[in-house]
Amino acid sequence: MSTLRLVLVTWWLQLKIRSRSAFDGLLGLLWPLFFATTIFLMYRASGAEGSALLSAAVGASVMGIWSATSTSASFTLQQERRQGTLELLVAAPTPFPLLIFPVTLSMATVGAYSMIATLLWGRFVFGIEIAVANPLAFVLSTLVTVVGIGMLGFLLAISTVRYRSAWAIGAALEIPVWLICGFLIPLQVLPVWVRPIAWLLAPTWGMSAIRAAAEGRGVLADLLACIALAIAYGFIGMLVSRHMLNSARRRATLALS
Amino acid sequence: MAVIEVKDLTRTFRSSKGLFRRNAREVEAVRGISFSVERGELFGLLGPNGAGKTTTIKMLITLLLPTTGQASVLGFDVVAHPREVRRRVGYVFGGDRGLYDRLSGLDNLRYFAELYAVPPREQRTRIHELLELVGLTGREKERVEGYSRGMRQRLHIARGLLHRPEVLFLDEPSIGIDPVGARELRATVKALVEHGTTVLLTTHYMFEADDLCDRIAVIAGGQIVSSGTPDDLKQRVSSGPVVEVEVYGVLGGVVDRVQGLPGVRSVVVEERGQAQVLLVHVEPGAEVTQAIMSCLDDARVGRVVTREPTLEDAYIELVGTP
Amino acid sequence: MSSLRIFLIGGLTSYRALFTWLTPWILIPSFILGPIFQILFFAYVGRTAGVGSDSFFLIGNAVLYASIPCLFAMSNTIGGERQHGTLPLLLASPAHRIPLFLGRALPVIINGFGVSAVALVVGALLLQVPLPLASLAPLALVVAVATFSCTGLGLVTAALALRVRETAVLANVVFGILMIFAGVNVPLDALPSWMGSVAAWLPLTHGIAAAREVAAGASLVSIRTDLLVEAGLGALYIGIGLAMLAWFEREARRRATLETI
Repeated sequence: MSTLRLVLVTWWLQLKIRSRSAFDGLLGLLWPLFFATTIFLMYRASGAEGSALLSAAVGASVMGIWSATSTSASFTLQQERRQGTLELLVAAPTPFPLLIFPVTLSMATVGAYSMIATLLWGRFVFGIEIAVANPLAFVLSTLVTVVGIGMLGFLLAISTVRYRSAWAIGAALEIPVWLICGFLIPLQVLPVWVRPIAWLLAPTWGMSAIRAAAEGRGVLADLLACIALAIAYGFIGMLVSRHMLNSARRRATLALS
Repeated sequence: MAVIEVKDLTRTFRSSKGLFRRNAREVEAVRGISFSVERGELFGLLGPNGAGKTTTIKMLITLLLPTTGQASVLGFDVVAHPREVRRRVGYVFGGDRGLYDRLSGLDNLRYFAELYAVPPREQRTRIHELLELVGLTGREKERVEGYSRGMRQRLHIARGLLHRPEVLFLDEPSIGIDPVGARELRATVKALVEHGTTVLLTTHYMFEADDLCDRIAVIAGGQIVSSGTPDDLKQRVSSGPVVEVEVYGVLGGVVDRVQGLPGVRSVVVEERGQAQVLLVHVEPGAEVTQAIMSCLDDARVGRVVTREPTLEDAYIELVGTP
Repeated sequence: MSSLRIFLIGGLTSYRALFTWLTPWILIPSFILGPIFQILFFAYVGRTAGVGSDSFFLIGNAVLYASIPCLFAMSNTIGGERQHGTLPLLLASPAHRIPLFLGRALPVIINGFGVSAVALVVGALLLQVPLPLASLAPLALVVAVATFSCTGLGLVTAALALRVRETAVLANVVFGILMIFAGVNVPLDALPSWMGSVAAWLPLTHGIAAAREVAAGASLVSIRTDLLVEAGLGALYIGIGLAMLAWFEREARRRATLETI
């Protein structure tokens, strides 16, 4: 109960911080729109319509959730370190992983904003008919995807806490996930060796569930896979966090100086 | 049982530079210190920059692991039981870092209240109580980025007190705040101690330590060079009062003659603009002012002052800077 | 003579001091992996959507990525002076402004060229796009001109960076605009006409078009118009950038806002 409260309050305050930052708040919305616009223009040039266009619009909109998470997650702990709050978080009695998950969840939430913005942009600027067959399953799948991507961001943030240049690595992970997780490109088109990697990434299953909901197919299996991976990330993240914090206490790498 | 118990604590840092040819360098920041702090005491760690004060505090609040030695806070070992320690201690450092600039002061406190598991029902009253204590009532809804340095520092203190810590660690809390703010800060700290909080303070401001601390450990080069009450330190180090005589044109031989007087320990000449000042360190109880004056013959004499040694005299002598 | 020294040595020094990306942990992800993944992404999206060709996306995105150092390094090397508080010192110096600021562009142009070249070669190998040997030299010239002109836009961004606090956001937004408008992934004739008119005035548009033609076997003579327009646009943006810097400096002295700009 108190854990849930902690996650909610922290998530809300982090969302406040993010919405007041030009990088997270403004660019977090604009950046996915740049890519979505490019993609809409490409599909328009190809003369696509109907379900192919809808599928592209849904895929492009979900790209934003990962986009908002990947760069910020790898950057946020460096920022906490620079402003001197990282030490305070570690010195608090609450377990560190429990503090970081709401942080990355808030990033994925900004991404969910951008998802809505992209869908509206597609609808009103490009006239793409957003016909969702099963709205309830669509919303549910989106929520699960936000949590799944938040958890992946959590793993990324925790693993890179010690590296000052982590933001560049996070930024470089943005497009590979778009590329292999089936946002726009069907998995079958990719080389065979890429597929197992895609299966280990929660966004693959979340995206699949969202698309299935939009087309009126069943979502349960995809959602379960996404949730299972999210739990696995959380578990790995906890182990990594324990190891990282111990090493930081031994090697004095929490403070910037 | 002591609230803070430190035994033979050491801490070594390794730093390495370069990507391929890594040059490892070892720095011993803390070299075997021991002290204990009793409940309700205000204990000061006094020392110059780089003496090992912050490293010591960070080991005590569980942010750093000791290289060797032992430390416990409230009976909990800082290595074996970090969470028990964290729950019960507060940590405040000086400077303007350590706050979320884009959040209001109130939101900053809410966040840390959550982190320190302050029960939801108490949070509101506790936060308002603290805002009142540090004098930020009325400004709490503004974003921290607009706060002055002093306001930030006061918000820090409120943050450190949210969970009513039994032990409070203050790491150079008055750095960069104006004299009025510093005085208010000292009053706040005194009030906390009166209410039973144990405080460990680091500072390099002598008057701050003198004014606040029950006991002081002077730390230099990672070692405790002396400890005791401020009065103890002054007496132990300095031989006695200092007579300062302003003279215009000290004649040859005067210094030697003064040095030869009974009761005089040492004489130093300091240039101060046109004048020279004889700093005469005197043995306790000896009365030498008249004798000094007679040594000076016809030299024009300005101000003559006899003063008790300050903590600064003691400190400078202890940490060994001229 | 001293202007030449300021141009060469001063430019290189400030590039190294203020462009904080010069570590392998940033260089490799941002300058090598980033462009390659983007090339692959759009090539695969293009295949799925049935539009363009691998070569089209390879050249468009490889040349586009020259703009990353052009925009970010220029913003960092000039906007960064503000963050470090060294801008007043710089402006108080008697150095001529034109070599002072342009000197910062030279290392950036070389950097941008390198990013594009690596992306082109690696991307071509991964996607198995044949680049005829004879086209490599003219292609290099076209990429160099495109990088030059993009650095001009970078100078304008850098001047704006003196006024805008979030330089990273600004540079990212400019990058996004180039990606949509400059014919990188969407053929120019598929853009609405107003977007086409905007594109004609942006750097990279003509350079990318020329690069595609050269890669397809066209001679330098046949693309000379695009090449000249691209170079001309670069010169135009440099002029605008320098004028903005001079204006901001005068304005700051008049209104005593040097410390705050």
